[in-house]
Amino acid sequence: MIGPSRVAELDMPGAAIEGSSTRPAQSYWNESWERLRANRIGIMAGALIVVFALIAVLAPVFSAVLTHYEPQTIDLSKTFSPPGSGHLLGSDELGRDTLTRLIWGARVTLGVALLTVAVSLTVGTAVGMMAGYYGGWFDDVLMRLVDTVLAIPAIFLFILMSILFKPTPVSLALIIASVGWGQVARLVRGEVLSVKQRDFILATRSIGARHLRLMARHLLPNVLPVLIVAASLGVGQIILIEAALDFLGLGIQPPTASWGNMLTNAESYFFHSVWLVYFPGVMIFVTVLASNVFGNAIRDAFDPRLK
Amino acid sequence: MTQPLLEVQDLHTVFSTKEGWVKAVDGVSFELHPGETLGIVGESGCGKSVTALSIMRLQRPGLIKSGHVMFKGDDLTKATEDEMRDVRGKEIAMIFQDPMTSLNPVFRTGWQVAEPLRLHHGWNAKKSLTSAINMLGRVGIPSATERAEDYPHQFSGGMRQRVMIAMGLTTTPEVLIADEPTTALDVTIQAQILDLLRHVNQEFGTATILITHNLGVVAGMCKRIIVMYAGRIVEAGPTADVFAHPKHPYTWALLRSIPRLDAERHEPLKPIEGLPPNLVDLPGGCAFHPRCAFKIEKCSRDVPALQRVGDTQLSACWVTQAGTELKGA
Repeated sequence: MIGPSRVAELDMPGAAIEGSSTRPAQSYWNESWERLRANRIGIMAGALIVVFALIAVLAPVFSAVLTHYEPQTIDLSKTFSPPGSGHLLGSDELGRDTLTRLIWGARVTLGVALLTVAVSLTVGTAVGMMAGYYGGWFDDVLMRLVDTVLAIPAIFLFILMSILFKPTPVSLALIIASVGWGQVARLVRGEVLSVKQRDFILATRSIGARHLRLMARHLLPNVLPVLIVAASLGVGQIILIEAALDFLGLGIQPPTASWGNMLTNAESYFFHSVWLVYFPGVMIFVTVLASNVFGNAIRDAFDPRLK
Repeated sequence: MTQPLLEVQDLHTVFSTKEGWVKAVDGVSFELHPGETLGIVGESGCGKSVTALSIMRLQRPGLIKSGHVMFKGDDLTKATEDEMRDVRGKEIAMIFQDPMTSLNPVFRTGWQVAEPLRLHHGWNAKKSLTSAINMLGRVGIPSATERAEDYPHQFSGGMRQRVMIAMGLTTTPEVLIADEPTTALDVTIQAQILDLLRHVNQEFGTATILITHNLGVVAGMCKRIIVMYAGRIVEAGPTADVFAHPKHPYTWALLRSIPRLDAERHEPLKPIEGLPPNLVDLPGGCAFHPRCAFKIEKCSRDVPALQRVGDTQLSACWVTQAGTELKGA
């Protein structure tokens, strides 16, 4: 039935045909990247965010070369200048240059968004991973904690925390992340629960890998697509939350410029200096729209469940 | 005979379910000698895989209630988790049933095959990869250097099983446990993988435990087989003797149920009547007696122990232990 002649077949044509292919290895990441590149609108939205980020990083340069104002420079002789000469995008009630303040505001807005995403992803992934991996009572305790965090009305929590802690960009990011990690933890836990059932996890344990290695090296790459999607879709939401808190006076405090707190003051002068409302408003709108469009493009490209 | 390499003594592994304790492995004992190929046969749910996982202490959520697994003088059931990690993948390697899901989809195969070397020998990426590529070549992966760059989804089922075998062998373990290594593969690929396992057994001297429900597979591979039913060993002995003169009605019925090429065209198949027992609520006495064609009154009352029947075989059956030959339509 199974003769020794078969041993020779091992290196024979049948097997060789399959191995002789010369196509390059198409990894999951390559494929996803190709799909993302094919999405024009998504790439444009991503590029826009990159441009905003660059402008934010280079804010001091812009303020020195382009606008010649510092964000806090007060000029009471030129309050409420309309957009045009002198102040490209006009000036506010204290004669501060709107464009300069927008550029510096981008630092705050994008910086807070980035930090928030980083913190909530790190904490959420760690909690979700451990809950899903170890299971049992440990899972129950962690997930009830997540339920509790998510059950608190977020806006009241933000208001309370803003009162307790002086809102700086870093503390604001931590405040928003204190709720954001819960969603991530749930997402990661669900994904881990499904991935850990697969045989390769048992196979990896059977070669003697310890739990930490299994989680970090073998499970994490398998939940990474979900994380990337969550991160990219979360940015827009965080920018809105941050702007809302600033607007309510609970976020970044004047005189530090942020798009949200620029709106707070502008509201009072809406009827005679409408540009003070338009420019920060448009910036928030465009950035949030671009992050959502880019986030969707990322999801279309990376989410394995959509394939 | 030489000192056994691995000795399983009266192993009991149980699972907790809503209906009660499931005795997946219920008093299993056997020995594995260096360089030997041992077959464990039985139908789905008879405890073959749980026995294998219990040896590796990967039986969770199952619980090893009692018994010993002696490996090179140490009792693995009492080893710490750290000590077990040193055994797993270094001294005892395991191959799983479904090669399609046993490899991590996000890593290149070469990297995965090299993982045991990084874990156990602390080799760096480059050194371990060289060794892994060498091993991939030895298990019959053509152009191994290039293929090591590929991801698992670029391999066929048979090739993936070769990759799994290569991964098991990189650290040249002393025992290889193959849990239904060919079940998910088609017949020609099955034959190739079995040849490879036999080849590995000869070339590396790796003692192999081959778990399968396929009697044809053990016939070609194993000198000695163990037949399991409902978590217990019902028969054990040299493959040739067991096949020629089964000493347990279950083995007898299993062998009889195999369709034969030389049978009459319209001869009906001879299945084993009834269903495997519910492991939560085993029938009293011999677990096989409700389906047994030879049962006597004692069978439903007392559990038969595994005892020598004939010159070379062990059987847990009151009928054959009393000297009756198993014959019939």
